[in-house]
Amino acid sequence: MPIGKLLFRSLLAVIMSLTIALAARTPVVVWGVTLGPESQGFQDLIREFERLHPEYEVRVLGMGAGQMNPQKLMTAIVGKVPPDVISQDRFTISDWASRNTFLPLDSLIERDRAKDPLTPTREQYYPRFWEEASYNGKVYGIPTGGDTRALFWNKDVFKAKANELRAAGLDPNRPPRTWSETLAYSKVLTEFNKDGSVKIAGFLPNYGNSWLYMYTFMTNAEFMSKDGRTCTMNTPEAREALQFMIDGYDLVGGYEQAMKFQSSFRGGENDPFMTGKVAMKIDGDWVIDQVARYAPSTNFACDPPPVPDDRFHHRGRYANEKDTYISWAGGFAYAIPAGARNVQGAWEFIKFAASFKGRIIEMQGQASISRRRGRMFCPRIAAQIEAATKGYRMFAPKDPKFAIALKTFFDLAPVSKIRPVTFVGQPLWDEHVRATELACLKKMTPDEALGKGQVVVQRYLDEEFNKEKYPEIDLRLPSLIGAVGFVIGSVLLWAGYKRKRLGRLAQSEARAGYLFIFPWVFGFVVFTLGPMLASLFFSFTQYSVLSPARWVGMKNYADLLSTDRQNILKSFANVLYLGGIGVPLGLITGLTIALLLNSAVKGMRFYRTLFYMPAIVPGVASVVLWMWILNADSNRGLVNYAWAHTVAEWFGTQVPGWLTVETWAKPSLIVMGLWGAGSGMILWLAGLKGVPAQLYEAASIDGASPWRQFWAVTLPQLSSIVFFNTVMGFIGALQQFEGVYVMTNGQSSGPADSLLMPVYYLFNNGFKYFKMGYASSLAWVIFIIILIITGIQFLLAPKWVHYEVEK
Amino acid sequence: MNGGYIYLVGTLATWVGWIAVFRLIYLVIQMAFGHMEHLRQAHFKAIGQSAATAAVCLALAFSLPAKSGLEAVNTPSIPLVWPMIPFTGWLAIVSVLMVVARVIQSFGALNDSEKKARFGAAAVWVGVGIVSWYVFKRTGGEVVLFKGRLPISIQTVIALIAALIASMITMVVSARYAAARGLAKTVVTHIALVLGSFVFGVPFAWLVVTSFKEDRDMVAKEGIVWVPRVQVTVPYDDPQDPRFETDFMCRTVTVARLETLPNGLLRVEVDRPLGLQGTQFEADQKVLKRVPKDAPVVTAKFDGKQVKALVAENMNDGRQRLRIMEPANIKDQEFMVLPTDTEPLMVTGLRTKNYSEALEFLPPEANLGLTYLRNTLILVVMTLIGTLLSSALVAYGFSRLRFPGKSWLFMLLLSTMMLPGAVTMLPSFLIFRSLGWINTLYPLWVPAFFASAFNVFLLKQFFSNIPMELEDAAKIDGCSYLRTFWQVMLPQIKPALAVIAIWTFMGSWNNFMGPLIYISSPEHMPIAYAVQLFQNDRGGEPGLTMAFATMSMLPVLIVFFFAQKYFIEGVQLSGLGGR
Repeated sequence: MPIGKLLFRSLLAVIMSLTIALAARTPVVVWGVTLGPESQGFQDLIREFERLHPEYEVRVLGMGAGQMNPQKLMTAIVGKVPPDVISQDRFTISDWASRNTFLPLDSLIERDRAKDPLTPTREQYYPRFWEEASYNGKVYGIPTGGDTRALFWNKDVFKAKANELRAAGLDPNRPPRTWSETLAYSKVLTEFNKDGSVKIAGFLPNYGNSWLYMYTFMTNAEFMSKDGRTCTMNTPEAREALQFMIDGYDLVGGYEQAMKFQSSFRGGENDPFMTGKVAMKIDGDWVIDQVARYAPSTNFACDPPPVPDDRFHHRGRYANEKDTYISWAGGFAYAIPAGARNVQGAWEFIKFAASFKGRIIEMQGQASISRRRGRMFCPRIAAQIEAATKGYRMFAPKDPKFAIALKTFFDLAPVSKIRPVTFVGQPLWDEHVRATELACLKKMTPDEALGKGQVVVQRYLDEEFNKEKYPEIDLRLPSLIGAVGFVIGSVLLWAGYKRKRLGRLAQSEARAGYLFIFPWVFGFVVFTLGPMLASLFFSFTQYSVLSPARWVGMKNYADLLSTDRQNILKSFANVLYLGGIGVPLGLITGLTIALLLNSAVKGMRFYRTLFYMPAIVPGVASVVLWMWILNADSNRGLVNYAWAHTVAEWFGTQVPGWLTVETWAKPSLIVMGLWGAGSGMILWLAGLKGVPAQLYEAASIDGASPWRQFWAVTLPQLSSIVFFNTVMGFIGALQQFEGVYVMTNGQSSGPADSLLMPVYYLFNNGFKYFKMGYASSLAWVIFIIILIITGIQFLLAPKWVHYEVEK
Repeated sequence: MNGGYIYLVGTLATWVGWIAVFRLIYLVIQMAFGHMEHLRQAHFKAIGQSAATAAVCLALAFSLPAKSGLEAVNTPSIPLVWPMIPFTGWLAIVSVLMVVARVIQSFGALNDSEKKARFGAAAVWVGVGIVSWYVFKRTGGEVVLFKGRLPISIQTVIALIAALIASMITMVVSARYAAARGLAKTVVTHIALVLGSFVFGVPFAWLVVTSFKEDRDMVAKEGIVWVPRVQVTVPYDDPQDPRFETDFMCRTVTVARLETLPNGLLRVEVDRPLGLQGTQFEADQKVLKRVPKDAPVVTAKFDGKQVKALVAENMNDGRQRLRIMEPANIKDQEFMVLPTDTEPLMVTGLRTKNYSEALEFLPPEANLGLTYLRNTLILVVMTLIGTLLSSALVAYGFSRLRFPGKSWLFMLLLSTMMLPGAVTMLPSFLIFRSLGWINTLYPLWVPAFFASAFNVFLLKQFFSNIPMELEDAAKIDGCSYLRTFWQVMLPQIKPALAVIAIWTFMGSWNNFMGPLIYISSPEHMPIAYAVQLFQNDRGGEPGLTMAFATMSMLPVLIVFFFAQKYFIEGVQLSGLGGR
């Protein structure tokens, strides 16, 4: 037998090698990196990797996957079609890891540690960067780069205002070092236009890349307790940091004013910092490269970001503080999603790309493209210590201005803090952004805003830590019950049918009938009834697809009404706004056009086509178009251009900020909707044609004016259309999704949650966080509200809707 | 705030006063030239009323000024005022007005029941008013009065008054003849319609114009650019920085030379298409075909003289190397200049390149957008087939065949129309996941093969209107049910099928949420989703974004123009719900 076995094995080996040779290269799919004219380094890296590993083909997916969209990645992982490698923002890695969506890499590291010198190990990396990509003692990602934040200040702007600065007792030759100095400088440097809008901003606390996180690092606030079980977002230290941001915005006329100012910013060589529209900003090290690329002549410098006064002077609670300055570091890491098809290839790629060799190849490529384009190259901080230090030595720019600026960032690396390693990293981030916005808008006090965020994050934490309390359930059981129920139901129906004792002919007709309606019956059971029951069932569970479901009873519904009440109420209030203002406006617009068209004899078809055309423009394209038309910058947006030269001029006011400010965000949606009022118009037209002429004759004989005729004859006759359209309009507003998603790129819910819509919220809960249970309960609430609205309207209908009596 | 209210009153008085003046003029003209509709006495009374109103209001308006900010300014202007009130505040004001109107109406009621109805309505409005006032107060509602002035020159005022008086005379004179009255109405209607279609059409015009504009014309420095201009370019074969054409990754690309390698090969960098720009590769000299590049033409100062020149090369230090074209005596001389010191030569024309560049920008997998088109077409065709076939089958079953439980099942079908998609969205995802259909097009069209309630309902109405005799005849001829359905009944409802086809086409062409959930790689991406991603990726370039958006909506617009009738019928059918 051994001979046969040997033969068999060798045959197998031959076949294997043949398939490898013939079936070409196995793909390694990489997401999270965009390839473009500026990513020469990454291309070189891939080329070198493919040369060393001819068995692999690296495929970087552009557009759609290139951007960091958690919903897309999550859906792909849950849907079992994930990429092999993902370049992921490090602070979210613990989040993904906690949901079993990334593979732990420890076993791979252990396996290769001895034989492959490229294998990444803890010692080779800056400890904080390595920690940030680990969770619960396991390694989930290999960090690639790091970034720190520093204060950029435009020396020319300081120089231009030198006298004023001196008059205020400030030195124009150095940047502020403390918070109070920052505010003092900003006050002098900020300039306003005649209409009150910002011309030059001294300092915008959240412009660039600072966020509340960095200011809280400076006040030693901790967003999470040591054991990681409690969210401590709302502390006096955090409030102090937030208050600084609010004060900073007050100096430029408030947060809304700043947002409007920012909406006119452009990238590239028109960057507001380089053109002196913003005097100071806190931003990351990548900005140096942008300056080198677009405006190397900018007279700027980088210094450590200003800190609280007490910290600077080592007073009070900072008396024993070692570090005067504090910065913040983030960065990316390569990870392998769970269920990746080509784990081996992915691991080989990660090992190579994150290694010293890989990092240097990438830097070299970037350096060469910069050199070729006549630009300075400014290397980024690598997470790998050797690559970082040698990289800086090899590639640091010769120009002292840039070299010193870059040095500032490298020097800040040791005093940079990272965001807490917790699985609620993403919600914590989202809520801290929301709290900042609400507090800066003065919708809430810092205490309220941070408190609100804290409650939301705590809910996520409790859910995770209390989950043991809830029994795990096997999903096969309810499916089995469902299947059995279905079979029993079918048998009963069948028995009922048998008892009818139909004749032969009738029986064959009935059989044909069932066959004809079978597609619907099947579809109903599989795509409607089944999912409906499943969703009802899920709404009582906590289920993230990748981990087993747990029965939580009414908890999801209770959460909707308690901890998450504010978001839910806000979303339904937004629906009420759209339904209460948008729907009637749409009806009036449609009816007005229809009335005009109805009386015009000639050219009716022509006008009808014109008015109707916007209604058939694809939704996404129409939103994209309106986003440009409603651009807040009156030099670019069509509407604001017209507005600036009429209304704004007459009243001496500013143009509306449309999508960038809270008050105008929903009106923007309504305006977009009104453009499509044409489909309503067609309905009205049909209705108007159906109004009997004798009614008008009778009315005019009675001496009714046209106005009176409209109210007494036309409108009652059209009341069924009014009714139908109101119901549909409200239901449509309740299900608004596309517009909001396109307008916010699916990233936020508009300024101060002004575009938070129920279905959008549901979508995010369902497909971004895969909180199937919670999202399902929200879905049922929406369903019930729709039922109630329709029910109420049908109850009220007989009171005012006029129906023709059937003849 | 008090000053604000005085301003409000003053402004209103001004406007009412002037309107009364014009009414007075109109009435006087009517008396002089026109055909008297009312009794002479009533007419005099109306004139008196107008005169009194005008006098009181204008007197009020002119006596108020000084303290309220209404004082005369140098340029003549009309005062404007706008109270900025939250929605609830407006609702409260409207309620007050409605209550007053209803109460007044109740006095003129014909009978008791009408009177009762009026009072009932008034009571409802009182309720609305109280609630909205309460909410207004609770939400800290405050009223801001915007004071403004509409600047207006004396000439405009005179012209406006002249035009008004002229049109009044025309109106009065033409009112004598019934035909003329109709004409006046038609003219007014058409003016309103033209204005309306202008408002509705401007976004389209803007879309198309923007998609043909150069990037530098996107910002309105001297007003929005409505006539697209293009940068003039000339083909120029630069000896120092030549361009070559070659094949790379199955595409013809234009490359620039970087360096000659020791092995004799050339290291080149892709210049066009944009999707590959910056990619470097090594190429054999022999396969490179030298081609001229498109050099932009600019005007600049050279030796203090204005010259026309072409941009030969963008230098590494940010300057440009220019080659003089005019004047002739210094032609072909070259010099260096900063881009800020040049002025591009623009001519009126369409920048069609926006379209080709938009496609070039797409990732290589998209194959210049053809992949997206293919996916959308698959989606549309499969959805159409599925919807039409299944809906017709099911509708036929429900309308013409008798079987136990029919009415019950039909009620069930109707009730599914109420179910929002949100409820089934998540479990459906799980179903398709277990089938391994994520990142395929199947989840987007397979459900179409199982009939949607609305279409079935619509088609059933149509089937019910076909006389039974037709079917009976077929039955007598021995046709099977399927054959009767296919050959006899289906042809009868073609118009309804066309309507459904149109709606299905629109729905699947525009489907955004489906691909957003299910599709993650460009190979399977349909157009609607690609547009959103394009806006996301290329948001900084409105020209390209608008070009891509235009391309995405073009097929829909074309279908619309050819099948307009069905679109319009469709809205009527869907909206009236078979009324």
